[in-house]
Amino acid sequence: MSALEMPSSGTEEVAEDSLARPQRSVDRLLAGNAWLVFAFLYLPILVLAVYSFNDNDRVGVWGGASTRWYGEMFTNARVMDALWTSITVAVVSTVIATVLGTAAALSMERYRYRGQRTFDGLLYLPVIIPDITMAVMLLLFFVQAFDLIFVATGVQLSRGVGTITLAHVAFNISFVALVVRARLSGLDGALEEAAADLYASRWQAFRRVTLPLIAPGVAGGALLALTLSLDDVVIAEFVSGAGSTTLPVYVFGALRRGVTPLINAVSVLMLGGSILLVLLSLMVSRRRDQQ
Amino acid sequence: MTDTGLTTGQRADASSDGTATSAVTLQGVTKRFPGAKGADPVVAVDGVDLEIRDGEFFSLLGPSGCGKTTTLRMIAGFEYPTAGSVQIFGEEVGLEPPNRRPVNTVFQSYALFPHMTVEENVGFGLQMKKVDRDEAARRVADVIDLVQLQGRESRKPKQLSGGQQQRVALARALVNHPKVLLLDEPLGALDLKLRQAMQVELKQLQERVGITFVYVTHDQEEALTMSDRIAVMDGGKLLQVGGPGAIYDRPRTRFVADFIGDTNLLRATAEDPGSARLPDGTAIRLEHHAAPGSDLMVAIRPEHVGLRATDADRDLTLDAIDGEVALVTFLGNATLYEVVGDRGDPPTRVRIRQGNAPGVQHFGVGDRVRVRWAPSSATVLED
Amino acid sequence: MSTTVPPPEVDPDLADPAPPPGPGLERAAEKAESRRGFLVGLPSYAYLILFFALPLLIVVIYSFATRSIRGRTVLGGWNLDSYGRLLDDLVLDIAWRSLWIAVLTTVVCLVVSYPFAYYLATRPARIRGVLLVLVMIPFWSNLLVRTYAWRFLLSSDGPFTSFLVAIGFEDAQLLFTPTAVMIGLVYGYLPFMILPLYATIERLDHSLVEAARDLYATGWQAFWKVTWPLTRPGVIAGSILVFIPSFGAYVTPEILGGRGSTMLGSYIARQFIGTASDWPFGSALSVTILLVMMVAATAYFRSGGKNL
Repeated sequence: MSALEMPSSGTEEVAEDSLARPQRSVDRLLAGNAWLVFAFLYLPILVLAVYSFNDNDRVGVWGGASTRWYGEMFTNARVMDALWTSITVAVVSTVIATVLGTAAALSMERYRYRGQRTFDGLLYLPVIIPDITMAVMLLLFFVQAFDLIFVATGVQLSRGVGTITLAHVAFNISFVALVVRARLSGLDGALEEAAADLYASRWQAFRRVTLPLIAPGVAGGALLALTLSLDDVVIAEFVSGAGSTTLPVYVFGALRRGVTPLINAVSVLMLGGSILLVLLSLMVSRRRDQQ
Repeated sequence: MTDTGLTTGQRADASSDGTATSAVTLQGVTKRFPGAKGADPVVAVDGVDLEIRDGEFFSLLGPSGCGKTTTLRMIAGFEYPTAGSVQIFGEEVGLEPPNRRPVNTVFQSYALFPHMTVEENVGFGLQMKKVDRDEAARRVADVIDLVQLQGRESRKPKQLSGGQQQRVALARALVNHPKVLLLDEPLGALDLKLRQAMQVELKQLQERVGITFVYVTHDQEEALTMSDRIAVMDGGKLLQVGGPGAIYDRPRTRFVADFIGDTNLLRATAEDPGSARLPDGTAIRLEHHAAPGSDLMVAIRPEHVGLRATDADRDLTLDAIDGEVALVTFLGNATLYEVVGDRGDPPTRVRIRQGNAPGVQHFGVGDRVRVRWAPSSATVLED
Repeated sequence: MSTTVPPPEVDPDLADPAPPPGPGLERAAEKAESRRGFLVGLPSYAYLILFFALPLLIVVIYSFATRSIRGRTVLGGWNLDSYGRLLDDLVLDIAWRSLWIAVLTTVVCLVVSYPFAYYLATRPARIRGVLLVLVMIPFWSNLLVRTYAWRFLLSSDGPFTSFLVAIGFEDAQLLFTPTAVMIGLVYGYLPFMILPLYATIERLDHSLVEAARDLYATGWQAFWKVTWPLTRPGVIAGSILVFIPSFGAYVTPEILGGRGSTMLGSYIARQFIGTASDWPFGSALSVTILLVMMVAATAYFRSGGKNL
């Protein structure tokens, strides 16, 4: 799962004519392949971005540039509702998952106790489980739980922002724990011992030594959680109610009915948000490298 | 640069017929690496001329970053020279890839293939050269015997100790019967005891197989004990080439004198040919070719300096300074003294290393002593 | 945070005066240490038990339940009917299609990504950093939106189709075919392949390649004998990371696929959303797909552990 960690671009330089580098002819082929891959990755996004400024009701026919669809997007109550739901769910679930995930990582890396391996498995499973299975699980769980609560108390709960947040915390704990553990395992255990040797209590050692050192890992985990929460369609679609949906669920629903210029604009907005998060992660990982 | 002519400690057979074959010849070899972000290119090796004779144990010695490893890598073919010529037994190979050069390398990190067994690692080169399967198996078995790794053929490198990995790396190179074996600080990762044992073993091995060894090291003791000849490098330049004795006794530059062993560096002013004067006024005898009045830098090894009580008879064949013992360091097999001269401002300071053989007179801090050396053991440095 | 870490007063290690060491006390101190570690993790475990393990159990239970005539799930009359239906031709068709689309997606991603990652890993450090960022951006970008970009490109009045028609392909129809789904999956999961490959290639000890060249291997031989076997963990990791989400894909086939390109993920979703819902059958499908994934993930760790 190393792919979840932002790989650093190592410092070791491969010399211009080192043998680790391919021969010139092969190198040219590789370069060609690389530019094709970049084109493949970026052209669709660029075309979409350009067409989101298309002043035409028909999405594929260019009718001049305008910000008309962005204006429409910001006045569309359903889009704005969904946007706020998304942001609320993402922020709340990220905060909870970061605290819980960091604690779980500490517990796994810094202590030994019985049953640890079982919990390790429990902590890992949400990472590898397919979205659709997780979605089905949580849907059945909430239906069943709300039935029980209704029978027991007569209160009828319904699915919405709350259930989506609970569901996102459930998978985000594992991702945060994964990232923080990677950071913790690279940390010299002697540092905490040194703190203890210098009269720090366990809590002081954590606050003054461990936490500052794993802070970039915690921040990286939180950003990953935020991204995953904003990305999620499948689980949110299953555990959201009729009243409130997140932005991706709204887009997904609209897509089933067809492509519209409004969806173009919403998509570009979401993309912009993603890119903002990437740049943030890069800044975090750069700080991490510097330490 | 040419040899100083002094061949102390050099093996006789290498030049027995007077015109030994050259195993490796470097002519004007220069290597420039592109600098980081618009900075000037880094000159790693700067115009090196060098001749390594067939069958000798040759060391490239210098501090890290002096260009010795880059020089070795250009002989191996991992780097191509920016300018100059690299010849192996008279054949120009400067731009040949390593797989077409009759040399093999023992890497500093060993670079053993982690996914192959000892046997597969050792047999790799023969397999690439498409050597007949039976012959290859025989040669692999032989070389594994040679480095005493019998019974470990099917282990993976990770299951071996550092010393054993080192032997595998050696076997993997030797099995190909290279014309020249290149060794890049091969003992650097081993602990002291093992390193010393391997030094002896390597030297014996080299004598047995008779292959030219080119050995890169930053450890001057290692170079002195193992080599037939040594090239000292610094800042990409070749400073001096010669046998261990010549390098040690007749360092050419201040860097060589300082880098190899401990040395006393004294300033002096040239007088008539054959004499000079220390800043404290002491006249000394010195072989030099400088004009009277010019500044000289003189090197004298601490073990070439003797220590006597001041009331001892004056020996006129020796130069001497009177002074007081300032520091005594017991080294086990020897004692190191530091003596401060009586005259001069600042006074002359000399370090003396005296073996602890029975009967040797010992001194304490504050004792009045006379420091003496033979004029022939004082060397004038070029810089 | 403060609830998960005990206050300093209870710390026995630093209690003053220190008790004399002894076997009994040592064991007690270790026990306290273990308990503290467990308490630190407890809130997370409790959360995951409630919102992950329990839901998983409920799905397993549902998979043995009965569907009533009116589409409601009856918890009772436990049976294996839902699992029996996994062998229906329709289900096998969909499973087979999911499998080959996922395998093909993985292979295409690998073939494109390996040379790409190799190129990246052998650039000078400062160029490498920039190129890496260019890979990270799509990796972190919203998958739905990126899939949507292709829906837009391929739609009947989209730019791509207009282009094809303009150059003479009148009846070009890519959208709603398995090919479109595959393009979407490759597009979506390509970075998942590139990044682990890049990580292993970049970590590779260059002196191993040099050693192979020193031992008379040509560039190609050195690649096949040394580089490829040593980067296989990255190949396996990338393949699993692409295969798992492709096999269970739901969003991509929904957006880019048509009637003939239903995959397991969307088929499961259909059992819960919409009119023809059948929760016990959907649960049985979910449990099955989860088991397949766990087998794949285990294989990944086995092979990874062996090679690293």
